[in-house]
Amino acid sequence: MISKRLIVCLDVRGGRVVKGVNFKDLRDLGDPVELAARYEAAGADEIVFLDISASHEERATLLDLVQATAERLFIPLTIGGGIRSAEDVGLALRAGADKVSLNTTAVERPDVITAASERFGAQCVVVSIDAARDGAGWRVFTKGGRQPTDLEAVAWARRAVELGAGELLVTSIDRDGVRSGYDLDLTRTIARAVEVPVIASGGAGNAEHVVAALKEGEASAALVAGILHDGVTTVRDLKERMMAAGIPTRRTW
Amino acid sequence: MRVTVFDYGAGNLHSLLKAVVAAGVEPVVETDPVRAADADALVLPGVGAFAPAAARLAPGRELLRRRLLDGMPCLGICLGLQLLFERSDEGPGAGIGLVTGAVTRIRAARLPQIGWNRIEAVADPLLLAAGLEEAYYANSYVGRPESLATVVAWSRYEDDRFPAAIRYQRTLGVQFHPEKSSSRGVALVRAFIEDART
Repeated sequence: MISKRLIVCLDVRGGRVVKGVNFKDLRDLGDPVELAARYEAAGADEIVFLDISASHEERATLLDLVQATAERLFIPLTIGGGIRSAEDVGLALRAGADKVSLNTTAVERPDVITAASERFGAQCVVVSIDAARDGAGWRVFTKGGRQPTDLEAVAWARRAVELGAGELLVTSIDRDGVRSGYDLDLTRTIARAVEVPVIASGGAGNAEHVVAALKEGEASAALVAGILHDGVTTVRDLKERMMAAGIPTRRTW
Repeated sequence: MRVTVFDYGAGNLHSLLKAVVAAGVEPVVETDPVRAADADALVLPGVGAFAPAAARLAPGRELLRRRLLDGMPCLGICLGLQLLFERSDEGPGAGIGLVTGAVTRIRAARLPQIGWNRIEAVADPLLLAAGLEEAYYANSYVGRPESLATVVAWSRYEDDRFPAAIRYQRTLGVQFHPEKSSSRGVALVRAFIEDART
C-alpha cells in the first residue's frame, strides 16, 4: 500500500530560504541545501523549492542551487516558480529536479503542460493551483497569489489533468501562513474531481491539520512549511500523529 | 571498474550518479548505447518515456542484449527495468528483449503512482542487504515478466499487485527509484556496485 506523503516546502529567494505570510513580509530562514538535507534526515518524504524571486538576477542562482541540492538529496525534489516553457522544465530536470511545478505559466500557456508531459512524462509535471474562496467555489489566482483569473479552481484542476498534469498542488490562499488548517473542502472537492494525486497546501498549524488534510481532505500528500521551519513541530511528530490516526506513513526512525 | 550510465537525454541523473560515487566508483555517462555497452557494469536510469528511450537504445540493442546474456551486471531503474522487456504499452519501439513479458499500465483509479510504497516478499540478496522495505515510485506502467520466478520483490498499488524487482542472471531491474529512496535506496546502489566487482 502506498504511503501518504509529508512534503516540506522551502520558499527560496535569491539563493536563501525565506518565509512570509500571505506571500508578504519575508524572513530569512537559511541555506536551502542544508535545510533540504536536514529535512531528509528528519524523515521528510519530498522537498519542494518554490522560487519566489522577484527579479532575473535573484533567479539566476536557482539552477546552481538545484544541482547542489540534488547531489546531496536522495528524496524527490520539486522546483516551482519562474518556469515559463517546456525548455525551462527540461533545464530544471537536467539541473537535478525530479518534478517541476507550473502555476502562472500553466494558466497563461496551458500548452506548456502538454509539451512537458509528453516530453518528460506526466510524473514530473505538477500543476500548482493557488485558489481563494469565491462564493460557492474557489477562484484561481496567479503571480504568487496576487493576480485573480477567470478560472474556477475545480474546473481548472480537471482541465490541467486532461492537458497532462501528473499531480496537483492545491494551495488555499486564504489559509496560507495563517495556521488555521487546510481548506479541506477545496482539497477534497479537487481530489474527487481528478484521478491524479493531490497535494494539500496552505494553512497547516499543527499535526491535526495535517491528519485532517490526508483523511477528510482526501489528499495524497500534505505540504508543510512554516510550522517546521519555526520549530512549532517536527517531521517525526507529524508522522507519529499520522500513524496514530491510521494513515499509511513512511517510518524512518 | 568501468560503470556506465546510459543517458536517454531526459531528466535528472545527478542523484543517481552521486549514489554510484558513494559506492566508490566514478560512473561514466554515455549517450551512445554502443559505448554504454562497453562496461564492467551498466546502469539503465529511470527517467523519460519508453518510445524516445527505445529509439536512443536502438543502435546498441543487439549488443546490449548479448552483453547482458553474457552476464554483464546491470541495474535497470523504473523505465530502465521496462527497457529490459521487448515492448511496452506506453509507446512504440523495441526494448532490449532480455525478459519475456509485458509492460502494462497499473490497474488503478489514481495514476501516476507517486510516492513511497512497501516492498514485499523480497527474495534478492542485494535488496535484502540494503534493507529496503519502502521505496519511492513515480510511474504509471510496470514490467510484468511471464516467468514469476524472475520476480524477486512485489508491491501493491490500490488493487494491483505488481513486480517491484526482477532478476535475470546478473541483471537486477527495480520498478522504484533507489536514488530517490533515501539512505536505504543509496545502499541498494552500493550493494549492486559491490556485487558487480566480484
